[in-house]
Amino acid sequence: MSGLRSFVARRLLLGAAQTVAVVLLVFALTEALPGDAAVALAGDQPDPARIAAIRETMHLDKPAYERLADWATGLLHGDLGTSLVSGRPVGRYIADGFGPTLLLATLTLALLVPLGFGLGVLAARHEGRLADRLISSVTLAVYAVPEFALGVLLVTVLALQLAWLPPTAVGYGTDLLGHPAALVLPVLVLLARPVCSLSRLVRAGMIDALASPYVAQARRYGISGPRVRYTHALPNALAPAVQQLARTVDWLLCGVIVVEALYVIPGLGTVLLNAVAERDVPVVQGLAVVFGVLTVVINLGADLVAHRLAPRAGVAA
Amino acid sequence: MDDSAEPLAEAPAEEPQSQTPVTEEPLVELRELRVEIDGRAIVDGVTLRVVPGKITALVGASGSGKTTTGLALLGEFPPGARVTGEVRRAADGLVGYVPQHPAAVLNPARRISALLTDIARAQVGHLPRAQRRAAARERVLRALAEAQLPDAEALLRRHPHQLSGGQQQRVVLAQALLLGARIIVADEPTTGQDALTKSRVVEQLAAVAARGIAVVLLSHDLDVVRALADEVIVMRAGRVVESGPAQRLWSAPRHPWTRELLAEQPQFTAQEGSAGQPVLQVRDLVARHRDPSARGSTEVLRTPRLDLHSGECLAVVGRSGSGKTTLARCLAGLHRDHDGEVLLDGVPLPRSLRGRSRAQLAAVQYVFQDARAAFDEHRPVLHQVARTAVRLRGTDPAAATREALATLSGLGLDEDLARRRPGRLSGGELQRAALARALLARPRVLVCDEITSGLDTVTRRGILDLLTTLLHDRDDDLSLVLITHDLDTAALAHHIAVLDAGELVEQGSAGQVLTAPRHPFTRSLLESTDRRRAGQASSAV
Repeated sequence: MSGLRSFVARRLLLGAAQTVAVVLLVFALTEALPGDAAVALAGDQPDPARIAAIRETMHLDKPAYERLADWATGLLHGDLGTSLVSGRPVGRYIADGFGPTLLLATLTLALLVPLGFGLGVLAARHEGRLADRLISSVTLAVYAVPEFALGVLLVTVLALQLAWLPPTAVGYGTDLLGHPAALVLPVLVLLARPVCSLSRLVRAGMIDALASPYVAQARRYGISGPRVRYTHALPNALAPAVQQLARTVDWLLCGVIVVEALYVIPGLGTVLLNAVAERDVPVVQGLAVVFGVLTVVINLGADLVAHRLAPRAGVAA
Repeated sequence: MDDSAEPLAEAPAEEPQSQTPVTEEPLVELRELRVEIDGRAIVDGVTLRVVPGKITALVGASGSGKTTTGLALLGEFPPGARVTGEVRRAADGLVGYVPQHPAAVLNPARRISALLTDIARAQVGHLPRAQRRAAARERVLRALAEAQLPDAEALLRRHPHQLSGGQQQRVVLAQALLLGARIIVADEPTTGQDALTKSRVVEQLAAVAARGIAVVLLSHDLDVVRALADEVIVMRAGRVVESGPAQRLWSAPRHPWTRELLAEQPQFTAQEGSAGQPVLQVRDLVARHRDPSARGSTEVLRTPRLDLHSGECLAVVGRSGSGKTTLARCLAGLHRDHDGEVLLDGVPLPRSLRGRSRAQLAAVQYVFQDARAAFDEHRPVLHQVARTAVRLRGTDPAAATREALATLSGLGLDEDLARRRPGRLSGGELQRAALARALLARPRVLVCDEITSGLDTVTRRGILDLLTTLLHDRDDDLSLVLITHDLDTAALAHHIAVLDAGELVEQGSAGQVLTAPRHPFTRSLLESTDRRRAGQASSAV
């Protein structure tokens, strides 16, 4: 057990280092972009004197390393800094954007897990037969459609032509729960590909597990079919699926930019997109920290679950 | 052979004779069972009665149809098999199965308790809901105790990989006992085990039979069969060639194949004190394994001094985990993490394979225990064998192929076999091919790591005969290091080194070590081998 504890400690340390590296990289990249927040703010009349004035009030005239150091000291006190553009604290930006993102992620996940595992187990049970061939070919086909294409297609058919659902969440603000109809399309698009990859992984794992000698032994000794499937075979199919699930959660929380932009949902992806457009470096950096920490924590969690499910593989970091 | 009809005539004549003292109904009966795959019969005309409390042994070389017959008792057949004949099972004739590799039937993702609890839960359905859990647990613990597993409470919380091979085997046995099996089919329960573990398995199976459970033993380990079996059925190529009470079969085997199977083991060339030059010398070797949990390394082997003379065979014996294989790997440059030196003709060998020159690589060759894993399954055996000469001696491919063919046929593999892929060769044939591959390097030292432990008696004897001939023919050119846990195999060597828990506890000439052991560990190894022999003698009375 101490081996596991030291593994967690090492992984957290490594994760912190990775997050720092991400923040530095993001800072460097935003610096490398042409123009800065002052240029973006100056708008259509780029008067050099005005830009210089804005630069001075924003402290953008300071050298880059000083600005980074200022921001980093703030971070150590739990202060993510303030937005260059609006002057609001970055923490508020993230808190506001996190609500819709979390809502979308939770809904997607709540549907993804039963659907992905259910389809996977179903296909494996009927390996090579009609149900399996149907599930396998449909999941492969859906997986091949990029999310923006599927999103546009669904909007065109379900919202514009049939008018069953609102095409976007424009005008609902962050109160998306009050308008569930607006959530249907984005959740569908978010679900499409993860369901396919997850069910295919579960199917492959289940087929292996169902053909294994330990499942044969359980059947031989009179254990009932469902019990063999769900308590003896499925745990062996879970380990790879859990890793895939972690990547999906990571993606849902940190990077559904395309879907949020398409359906105009004011989540973290939209915040990030706007901040980059406005060269709002503190907001971008704040998001980088949040995304970095989330990624590290989620993957560590997945590794621990996978370790519990496949204890033989051991842990590596 | 045209004597295939003989057993059919013989079996009925013999069965009443062996059945007369027992009037019990058979628990399982096979009648004229024939199992065919793709038109090829794997089991042909097997008739078998399994009676409570008796141990029936099916013996025969690998591929003789033992396992298929054993699984037929469970009502299981290989996929796509065409089955004719009859399998009749008594209504309460539950059958348990202990396979050759017990780890395979233990679920790697679940704790040991998972399947045991499920089996027990099915038996406590009549109790009120509140009592079921406790009753099931009690049954599980009792079964583990019956399978001679101490400290069952702690064991139940472990995963299969946290158990030793012996514990895994006993857990699988406990599953069968918990099920209430009246018959237990044990497939090669002692293969690859050291002498001490073997005698424990023998005691265990004898205890199971003493409880009135019928045991069907599928084995090519004749020592174990002799110590345990009441009835012996000798199989060859899917047919029963001879069957009868163990005692009769041993004292008066009727079929030539049985006689061959029971024949004594060969001796290596006379144990004259061949005082050749030392070829390989080990000096102050201390090998370590990296231990991730301790964040460091643990010493697994200490060998202050060990010499291998030219033309000599040195056996390294010890229980599993004693460091035998690590020693062999140090010699061959496969284990780098060690202090001290390995000298070839007085010149230190680099520790790593990469540091060794082609000549040095060729000089020390290694033959692995698992021949199947040591071949690339996608290329014909012949190419892989010839490759050694090309790589290590710079022979041109055509000449290498000719040489490989000659060497392979010298080892009893004809060209047709040699041109096949490894998947279509048997374990024994592949082990010969592995030997040929090593020999094509023209080695000074051949390290054989348990190369006979997975093989049946006849094949094993064939391989050992080969080694004897090689040693003899190549005169002083070739020396052997034979890694083994089997004292009978070790007895063929000139010298024996005994390892226990990484320490070289004793070394000397084979005669001296086997007849006048100085170290208590060597004595205990010898005693457990003797005990098995004695067990068979007393059971025959």
